[in-house]
Parts: sequence; structure tokens; C-alpha cells
Amino acid sequence: MKNTLMMAGFVALMGTSAMADGIGVSMALFDDNFLTVLRNGMDAKGKELGVSLQIEDAKNDVAKQLDQINNFIASGVSAIIVNPVDTSATQAMTDAAAAANIPLVFVNRQPINVDTLPDNQAFVASNEVDSGTLETIEVCHQLKAAGKDKASVYVMMGELSNQAAVQRTADIHDVMAAGKCEVELTIIDEQTANWSRDQAQSLMTNWLSSGTPFDGVIANNDEMAIGAIQALKAAGVDMATVVIGGVDATQDALAAMQAGDQDVTVFQDAAGQGAGALEAAIKLSKGEAVEQKVYIPFQLVTAANVADFLTKN
Amino acid sequence: MSTSAHGLGGLKYDPTKKARPPELNVFLALVIIVVAFEVLGRLLMGESFLFNTRENVSGLFNTARLSIIILQVATVGIIALGVTQVIITGGIDLSSGSIVGASAMVAMSFAQTAIVNGNPNPKAIFGDWAMDLPVILPILIGLSVGILTGLINGALIAYTKIPPFIATLGMMVSARGFARWWSNGNPVSFPTQGYNAIGSGMNPVIIFVGLAVLIHLLMTYTKYGKHSYAIGSNEQATRMSGINVDRHKVLVYVIASALASVAAVVVSSKGQTAQANMGVMYELDAIAMAVIGGVSLQGGRGSIIGTVIGALIFGVIISGFTFLKLDAYYQEMVKGAIIVGAVVLDQYRQQGRARV
Repeated sequence: MKNTLMMAGFVALMGTSAMADGIGVSMALFDDNFLTVLRNGMDAKGKELGVSLQIEDAKNDVAKQLDQINNFIASGVSAIIVNPVDTSATQAMTDAAAAANIPLVFVNRQPINVDTLPDNQAFVASNEVDSGTLETIEVCHQLKAAGKDKASVYVMMGELSNQAAVQRTADIHDVMAAGKCEVELTIIDEQTANWSRDQAQSLMTNWLSSGTPFDGVIANNDEMAIGAIQALKAAGVDMATVVIGGVDATQDALAAMQAGDQDVTVFQDAAGQGAGALEAAIKLSKGEAVEQKVYIPFQLVTAANVADFLTKN
Repeated sequence: MSTSAHGLGGLKYDPTKKARPPELNVFLALVIIVVAFEVLGRLLMGESFLFNTRENVSGLFNTARLSIIILQVATVGIIALGVTQVIITGGIDLSSGSIVGASAMVAMSFAQTAIVNGNPNPKAIFGDWAMDLPVILPILIGLSVGILTGLINGALIAYTKIPPFIATLGMMVSARGFARWWSNGNPVSFPTQGYNAIGSGMNPVIIFVGLAVLIHLLMTYTKYGKHSYAIGSNEQATRMSGINVDRHKVLVYVIASALASVAAVVVSSKGQTAQANMGVMYELDAIAMAVIGGVSLQGGRGSIIGTVIGALIFGVIISGFTFLKLDAYYQEMVKGAIIVGAVVLDQYRQQGRARV
């Protein structure tokens, strides 16, 4: 009798903790503005659909992330969403989920094995090549519109080990090489400010101290673009004479754009990616087929359409 | 080390025993690095590092570069002042960077403005009651975060006797966790004009220099300073001579954390934003500034003047690299080598003096 009661107790416990329709989410880093918007987008979609999510923070630790995925598998979730810490360490995650026959969706960061994913796995993100390309072409366009045929710019890079920073910087060079820039663009110098506003302020002020004339700053993200703007304003530079570009369309950047300081940013639909990943995970868990690469498009933001984006991030 | 540097028990810090102040060596290192950049600049770039070579600007020096050299290290420099007095007592503080993050988040939440470009503040943390408060409130609230974390650090170290490395490592992790929890990782932005003014222009430098003078006076002319050196040189002897070592240690860590909070207010005001990852690695930069400035990690030796020069060396290196357009990939490698090199030189000099 005692045993049956205990069994019943265990069954009741399992009923609550086994997460029959639960989805496990492992985020690379909670402490990241963009990923926070993505996470909140996923959370909101989960509440809307009535799906319970268990979101964990891998704290930028590859090993911890793999442990989290194995824990999800062990607790029998119906699907797993991973925002990979290291995009080159994703094969092990794919293998673990495939062995347990649990659907897996990679979100935001492109896994290295994206072309060989099994049928019940998918990748949801924006095509990273687009962001830097859209940004650079628009900066060129605005320089041309300002009546310039030749222009020189500074380039602010994100963390050097980060794929997005490498890609967005390469995009600038690719746009120039492909002749897609409307003006003859020269890069005076390119340095890293590690995505940080504070470091970007210092970097810009250091550049200003050399006195080299320039027409714009192309930054890998908005935080650095804002740092550059703050340094330029502190030095008394007229913001109408320079073109400043960033990526992310953060609230701070949109405000800077409304104030006429920042000229270009690119909106990456973080919440859309989070919601899209969750939708793909739910479909896969029901055995439905999804596109293996779901691209949520980047959108260019300038002073003309900034109002449309104020409530999006 | 401790006995040879300060004589019997190291209780009395006697300046007359020194043939040449150690700060002079650090200053010479600074001069050598500046000259190196000047020469390299003239050879490689055809430009001057320090002097003004632009026709459209008047003056002998490139004042823009001189000011950024100090400005870019002022925030971490403020932390380094606190770290210096911690290291002098023989301790270490790994939590200052995280305390910057935590204090900045809390302070900025009470420094927000209600209307941004005619719209309601999109990053509002609290309701309307916390908007457009007088600037002194966020400053005091930010400082209280530092004082509280400092009390915890100090009490753990003084009364549970766990090593400072572990106590402040714990605080480093917890305070960063707190900073992330505060707004679920969201940045806090759009402060009031009054709050913006704190870190605008050269104000961070003024605050840094003001605090440096204050802490320097504290360390050289007061009982507080004498006791700090005494504890770092020989804690047992200090305890025996009737000084309340435990209470003193709590005070040391409170001052260090409070200075980290000041740095948090300055950096969040300067950037007009507070983010959970603010101040990452600041503690190590601050320790490096102190060590380059001749502060001994064994305790009992070092000075605020040395740390300030150490901070300047940092600033010169950052600006010099950008000036030379050194590839970003090389910069950190070279920076690390310079930090270690400076300490190796200092060690060599110490051994030389011990033999005399």
C-alpha cells in the first residue's frame, strides 16, 4: 500500500516536472541587450501560445551549454532551442538531440553544421551578411547625397573574436570591392571598441586627436556608433557634416537618430527571431516539416522611417 | 620582501631611508614610452605624438591627444585608487568591476528622464515617481550600493578570515548577477541633463585627480594611511601593537567599493547609459595600473602617486597604439607584454636595492 502511494506520488511529481509540452531553451548569454530582446520575444510568444518554456543561461560557456542540452534531453522536453555560445561547437548538440530524437532549433547564430542538419532540426536567424552590407551601402548613399564623390571613413569593429564583427567588417570591404558604394570610399583606420560605448568614445577622441579629415564612421553596432557621436559632439563637430552608421536599431540609437545625430542603422528583428524559433520548435515537435533555414529579414532604418521602429525593440 | 623594504616590522614608513623614490622609476618608464611613441610616430607616420603639427590648430602640444590620454583612464583610475589602498594592506579586490555594473544599473534607474524626444522614456525602470529626480539622489543611491558591498567584502575578510581573493571573487560573481537581475539584462538609458553633466567633458579627470589627491593625503598624513601600510607589512605585529586590524580592514574595503561606485556614476553618466556588463575587466585593469605604478602585491609598499602614473602609462599605451594605427589584433598582445615587462623591471630594481 505504502509502495502504491509512493508510486502515485512519483507519478504526480513526474506529471508536473516532465514538461510534456515544455520546450527547453539555452541562451548563450542573458547579459546581452540584443539576446535579451530575443529571449523576451520568445517568452511572449510562449505565453501567447500557452507553451511552457524553461530558459537557461549558458553564460558564454560552451561546456555549460552542452550540459544544459543534455539535461533538457534527460528531462524529456518536447523540443530544444539553442542560441549557440560557439557556432563551431554545434555538432555535438545536434548529435545529442538527434540520438534522443528530440527536435532542435538553433536561433540567431548560424551553426557550423547548418547544411547537414537532420530533418527535425532547423536554424532561425537573419542573414548576417545583409546587416553590414545594408549599412555600408546606405552610408555611401548618404555621402553621395551630401554631394561627395570621394569620402574617407573610420571603421569601429566589435569584439575581434565575434563572428558578427568579423562579418560586418568584411561586408564593408566587400561593398567597396564590388563597386556597390556610390562614392569612392577610403578607410582611414579600423580598430576595435569591443561593442562598448565607453571604448568607442575613447577611440573616436583618439582618432580626432590626429586631426585627419573624415566624412563618416561605420560601426559594427549601435552602441559604438553612439559612443562615436558622443565623442564628436564633445569635440564640437557638427553632426550634419558626418555620416554615422550602426547596426541593431536599439532604443538609444533610434533616439539618437531622431535627434539628428545618427544617420543609419539596421534593424535585426530580435523578437521576431525568438518567436520564429519557438514556432519552428513547436511545429517540429508535432512532427510537421519546416524550412531548415528560416531567415527573418534585416531592415534598413534611416531618419525617414525611424518612427516605424520605435516600439519594435 | 616586507622586512627588507621597511625595516623592523615595517611599522614606521620612513621616507628618508629611500635613496630615490620608486615613483621616479615609474615616471621614467612613462617618459620612455612617450618618447618611444614620439620617435615611432615621426619615423613611421611622419606625425608627432605629443606636439601639434596641424596648421588649423594653435598651440605647442596636441591638447586633444593629451586630454584623451587622461580621460580614457580616469574611470578605471578612480577604481585603481581604491584598489591601491587594498593592495597596500596586503589584500586584493576582484569585485570592483562588478560593483561598477551593479552601482551603475541602480544609480541610473533613479536618474532617468520622463520624456525622450517627445516620447515617454522607452527604457523606464520605475514609474513616474522615479523620473527627473534631483541629481544628488542617484549619486547617493549608487554610492550606497558600493558602501553596502564594501561592508560585506570587509566583514567577510575581517571576521570570517577567508582570503580576500575568495571573498571578493564571490562578490565579483554576485554583484554581476545582481546587475543582470536588476532589469532582466536590459540596458537603462536616457538620464536627466543634470546626471549627464557629471561625466561630460573633462569632469571625469577632475573627479579622478580630486579623489587621487584626497586618497594620497589620507595614505600619507593620517593614522588611516599609517595603519594600512603597517597591516600590509606585518599584520601580526600591527595587531599586537593594539591596532584594531579587523575594523580597519572593513573600512579599507568600504572605501574601495565606494570608489568603484563613484566610477560607476562617472562612466554611466559619460555614456548616458547603464548596462549589466559595464565594468567587466575593470578590476584587472585597476590592479594592473597599481602594480605598474610600483604597488607591491605582497602589501606594505606603494603609493597613490605611483598608481596615478601607472594609469597614465595605460592611457599613453592605448592612445599610442591608435596613433600608430597598430592592427587591432596586435594591441592586446603588446599591452599584456608591457604590463609584465613593467613589473619585471620593478622587481629587478627592487632586488638591486636590496643588495645595497
